[in-house]
This record gives sequence, C-alpha cells and structure tokens, in this order.
Amino acid sequence: MIEMIGGEMPSFTEDRPRAGGALFGYLTAQFPAGAEVLVAGPHTDELIDALAARSTVTCLVRSEPEAIELDARGITVLCGTLPKLPVAERYDVVVALDGLDRLCSVEEDQFDWDECLQALKRVLRPGGTLLLAVENELGVHRLVDPATHTSAQTDSAWRPLGEFDTKPGNPTRLAGRLAAEGLAIDWLGTAWPVPEAPTLIATPNALQDGPADTLAAVAAGAVGQAYTDKAVLSDPRRLAAAAVRGGLGPEFAAAWLVVAHRAPRPSAVLALPPVLAGDGPVIELAPGPDGAWTRRVLREAPGRDLSALNGALPAGRLLEELLLAASLRHDLPVLRRLLTGWIAALPGATADNVVVHHDTYAWLDPSVPAQTDVIRRFAQTLLGGGYAHPWPAATDLQTLTTILHGAAGLPDDVPPVPADEELPLPDSRREHEEQLRALRRQIADATSRAQWYERELNKRDKELRKAREKIALFSGSVTYRAAKLGLGVARKARNRLRKGLQ
Amino acid sequence: MHHANHFYGHAHILAEYCGLDPEHPPRINGYLQHGWNVVDGLGAGTPYVPGRPIFVWSEQTRRRAWSMGRRQATVVGAPFLYLLTLRPEPVSQPRAGTIFYPFHGWEGQHIAGDHHRQVEEIMETEQGPVTFCLYWHEYRNDKVRADYEQYGRVICHGYRGYMWRDTDRDFLDNQLVELRKHKRVASNRLSSAVFHGVAAGCEPAVYGDPMHLDKEHRPTADRVRRSWPELHGKHLDLPVARATALNELGAGYLASPAELRAMLGWSGYYTADPAEAKAVGAEVPA
Repeated sequence: MIEMIGGEMPSFTEDRPRAGGALFGYLTAQFPAGAEVLVAGPHTDELIDALAARSTVTCLVRSEPEAIELDARGITVLCGTLPKLPVAERYDVVVALDGLDRLCSVEEDQFDWDECLQALKRVLRPGGTLLLAVENELGVHRLVDPATHTSAQTDSAWRPLGEFDTKPGNPTRLAGRLAAEGLAIDWLGTAWPVPEAPTLIATPNALQDGPADTLAAVAAGAVGQAYTDKAVLSDPRRLAAAAVRGGLGPEFAAAWLVVAHRAPRPSAVLALPPVLAGDGPVIELAPGPDGAWTRRVLREAPGRDLSALNGALPAGRLLEELLLAASLRHDLPVLRRLLTGWIAALPGATADNVVVHHDTYAWLDPSVPAQTDVIRRFAQTLLGGGYAHPWPAATDLQTLTTILHGAAGLPDDVPPVPADEELPLPDSRREHEEQLRALRRQIADATSRAQWYERELNKRDKELRKAREKIALFSGSVTYRAAKLGLGVARKARNRLRKGLQ
Repeated sequence: MHHANHFYGHAHILAEYCGLDPEHPPRINGYLQHGWNVVDGLGAGTPYVPGRPIFVWSEQTRRRAWSMGRRQATVVGAPFLYLLTLRPEPVSQPRAGTIFYPFHGWEGQHIAGDHHRQVEEIMETEQGPVTFCLYWHEYRNDKVRADYEQYGRVICHGYRGYMWRDTDRDFLDNQLVELRKHKRVASNRLSSAVFHGVAAGCEPAVYGDPMHLDKEHRPTADRVRRSWPELHGKHLDLPVARATALNELGAGYLASPAELRAMLGWSGYYTADPAEAKAVGAEVPA
C-alpha cells in the first residue's frame, strides 16, 4: 500500500547506494519481534525484507518509482518529503541508517539535520527507539575521496552541503544534540569503511580500551577490501589503521551509529557486542570474562567456511605495518627477522593478513585462502606506495622481490613476473605522484648514466686507437721485419729438425 | 662498476661468500665502500654514476650519505666481516704483542710529523713485541722500512690494486692472519685497520701524533676524535670500544648470500642485458 504524503518525486530515483549490508542487517534484527517500525530513507531491499519478516514495517521514501517497487513487494510505503510526515506517535522503532540527508525531497522546506531529527522523533512512541546513522564529514572515506562533495554532479545533489552541513561533528556532540531532543543514547558505534554499508562497527570504548593494534589491523583490512581498485587520494588503509592505533578511531570513522530512546526507558534494551565485523557473515569481537578478546561467528555466510574464526582473537600488530615501519627506519636486522619469521610460520598468508606479537605470527583472517606470491605482493606495496626502504636502487618489482626473497631466507631464483599481472590495490593519486617522481628520477639517472658510458667509451676508443697505432708502427719497422724473418727461419729449422728426428 | 670495488680484494671476498668464483668476481652493480670514512662511504673523487646503489658498511654511514644527497645507499656491512664468517678463528691460537698501523696517506699525499717521536711513544706504551704494518708504498721504501725495523717486525698486507690490476686479493686474508697473532691493534689514527682489528678480537688503541697530511681538512680529523672518544686513547674501555667499532663495521647488518647476490646484481636480475643476465645466473649454484 502506498500513501502519498506530499512532496513526492514522480520521476526521480536515488542515484547513490542505499544503506544496507550484513552488519546493518544484524543491527535491525536485534529489535523485539512484532514491533511497529518506520524505515526512513533509502535502504536496501534485503534489509527491509528481513525487517518486514519479523515486524510491521512502513517505509518513508521520496522517490515515487521506488515507492511503487516497495509496494509491489508488499511493503507499506509513505511516499513524499519529511516535512509532510504526519505527526503521530505510532512507531516503536525508527530506522534511519541512511542518515537524514535523503529524507527531504525537492519540494517544500529543506530541513536541516536538527529539524529532520525532530520530525523523526515526533513519530516515535514514548519509550520508542531510534536507530540512526550520522556520516562523518571528516571520515576516512571523505579524506581519501578524489571527488568533491560540495560540487554538484548528480541528480540528487540539489543542495551539496558536504562539510557545510549542520550535522554534529563528533560522537559527543551527537549525544548532546540527541539529548536536546529528549533522546537518550543506549549504544553508540563507529562504522567503517563507508557509511552506506559498513563492514566494521566498533564502539568508542572498544577502540579505546580494546586491543588497539588488532582492531587497527581489522580496520585496515575492512577499508582495504572496500577500496580495492577504487580511485582514492591516498591509501585509506594506512589512514584508518593510524587513526585507530593512535586513539582517533571515532574521529576518523566513516559514520557514527546510535541507538537512542525516547523516555521512558524501554523494557527491552538491545545488547550489542563491542565490535561487529563482516561483509556477509557477521562476526563478533568481544572480551571474555578473563579480559582476553575472542572472536565468534554470529551469522554464517553461504559457501564460506568460517569455523577457523571462532576462538581467541590473535593479538599483535599487522605484519605489513611492521615491515613498512622497519623499512622506513632502514632497520635491516628487524626487517630480516620479520620476513624470515613470517615465511617460516605462515608462508601462504599475505602481509596484510598476519598479526605479529613478539615472535608469534598469526592469521588475522584464517578463512582467507593461502597465496603463493606473498613476498611479491609486499614488494609491490613498498614500490607502489612509494615507501622508503633499505634497497633504494631496486626500483623494479622483480629485483626487489628477489632481494626480499633473499632477506626472508628463501633462494634468490625468483621466476619473472608476467608483465600484465597486477595485484588489486587501492588506486591512490598520492602514490601516482610518488611513482611519477620516481620515474622522473630514474629517467634522469639513466640519461646521465648514458652520458657517462659515452665518455667512458670515448676514453677507451682513444686508448684502443693509440694501441693500434703502436702495433702498426712496430709491425712496419725494420726491427720487427728482421725479427719476423728470423722467426720464420727458426720455425723452418725446427720443423726440419723434427722431421729428421722422426 | 668502479675499480675501487676490487680494492683489498673486497669483491673477491663477497663473491666467495656468495658461492661464486672468488678469482673472477662478477661486476658489482654499484659502488662498494672500500674503507671506513666519515663521509658518504665513497672515496673522495669517486666518479659516481647516478642511479647506481652505493653499498656502505653501516647504517650511520647510510644516513650520512643520504644527507649528502646519495639517495641509493644500501647497508651491507664491511667485507671484512664477511671474511670473518668464511674464516672461523682457529682454537687456542696464542696472541702476543701489538700490531701498529702507522697512519699513511695514499700515494699522492705526504705526511708531516715526527716518525721517531712516534715510535718511541709506541715502544713506551706497548708491553709486548710490536709489529709495524706499513702501507705498500712506505714498505717499498728501504729507508722507511729500515727505520721501523730497528724496533720490531715490519710487514705489509699487500697492494690494494688499481684499475682492477695487480689487486692482492689476499690483502684482507693476510691482515686477518696477522691481527689474530696479536693481542692489541693500534694506530695513530682511527682507521679501517683498527676496526678490522677489533672485529678480529684485538684490543684497540689510538694514540700519538695523528701526523696530518698536507692540505688535509683538519676539522674532519678533529670531528672524528669528538665523535668517537671511546676509540681514542692508549687503554680503552673495551666493551664500549668494541660495541662502537662493530657498529661502524655494520655488524648485525650482514646479508645472506642469496640477498647479497640479489643486491649486488649477481642473481642476474640487475643486469640490463638478458644475455649477460643468463651468463651471470648460470654461475650461481643452486
């Protein structure tokens, strides 16, 4: 059933991805069954269907074609703009995981963030719960984005506010703004690597007090996966890991998620784990009773064997970062120890999937299949990222791979790499700059080397000419001819003698 | 690449360490530091070819080289340390006396200083017999040799070689054998020989008139004394002196044969010419 509430957009469909994914699916599944739920803004079909299977769902969308599609799937739809949403305290839960940016249509008032929040709050029953996402305008995803959000490009960007928006800029201010509307926060999570479909959600407490190194590694992994082959300004993996490790996780997260309620406090409060991860399956990371962190698969994914993930969460720092740090320090002894230890312990694990604690090497994600060219991949990271390393003259992948093989205690007979085989990595502009600079330097070096060779060649040519002149001089002289004649006579005499002897 | 790579048989030692023919070391694809110095590892006036690695002894030298604009320095450690791995010390070889290296200039330089006063100070300081090790051009000078012979044994490790010719590839082997015969190694200037001595198990000492060369850059010599006071004096704090000396030689930074082959361009991959690469590769034992 569709109810047109006014301000609907008859020929517009959303042109950016809708909010969804495994972790959002898990969050929405935690509400008590049978609740009246309003899903405000564009969300994926899977998320809506899963919610509809266990509760009464109403969707609020501004696009009429999308409203028709939802209706066709049997969902109750309110189609129109948020200012037209009838005020009625009728929902137990309001889900706004797409944030508040896509609730107003082009018609009528253009609500700012606070006004949107007020409008949603007004439809919550007392004791009702709001599940809200707030995009971080200074999140890793924005910092590495080559596109400018304040430059209008797409049909939906009729007011491209970007960082000029009025939404709160950190979790504390978010809590304050919610409190001002009478909404108390039950839970807050930071979402990575992109707001619309996070694959890692961690509470600020977990980032603060949990195993920062391992969580930084998990964050780098989540970000790396999301940005494979995507154009970025700089490598988002380093940015995410550095933020989490440095205690700035919440400030650099792509988005913040809150579960907040209207007074009075609801009887059933959601119990959410400190860290959720997964891009299909859902995995929980949490401290056990003894304080040691464990990993548990909450939801399986078809076709993937995740049994190896259950158990203790491996502690330590990401091998790739340790290798890079040792490279930058030119600390050859440490670099060799890490390479040797890695290849001896986990020769099939890529450097971005190993965590190291003292001398213990562990798979970060043991469900990832083993690879055969892990050293070459690390060599590519070093070269592609423009990192300083102890072998600066090794500027090609083959040479550096061979040296790293030697440093890892492996033989140096590395088979050549097919030229067309490129490993999928984030496509970073800053690294392009570095590569360009490196190439310019190599060309300049090669040019002056060629000049040096020419000078050397000229020198040798001169020497050769002199030697030839000398030879010619001597071979034409009387002494030389006399000696040659004498030699001929002597040779004949010797041959005659030999014949005589036989 | 450069003939200095063959000085003192350095290239030959590295070839032996890498499992290649020590008689005919393949061309090193870069510049090998051929003596301890307080600049970028290269000798003064080395015609450096851009884009080629320089292989230095220690991380400190690499940092210095970088700050001097040498972008492609790689730390490999001193060839003498590689030699030590190839020649384990014979058990219970008795050591006695001191081997003294009077500071020498190279061929074109002349030393100003009082040789006699220097030798007297040495004889007063050292307890046992003293062996004087002269640089080859002093050793060939009968008068200089006779001067020293009044006080002790006089030796020479050999000719370091020039333009790949006449290189005494056993230079460092000879030095090692001599060092291992002595308790102490001393010189009037901190130099490669003192560092080699420490690595070979001798107690180091640096004292006496440093005998400045004419036209020498004096502040550099003074800087050496300020930077390494623990290596200057007649009787030193041995653990401290030893740690510093081994650092300067790049102890702990030695590469495995496979890594060294790859770094020096001896795995066949550094070589631009594929035919040459194949030939070099063929020499590498499996």
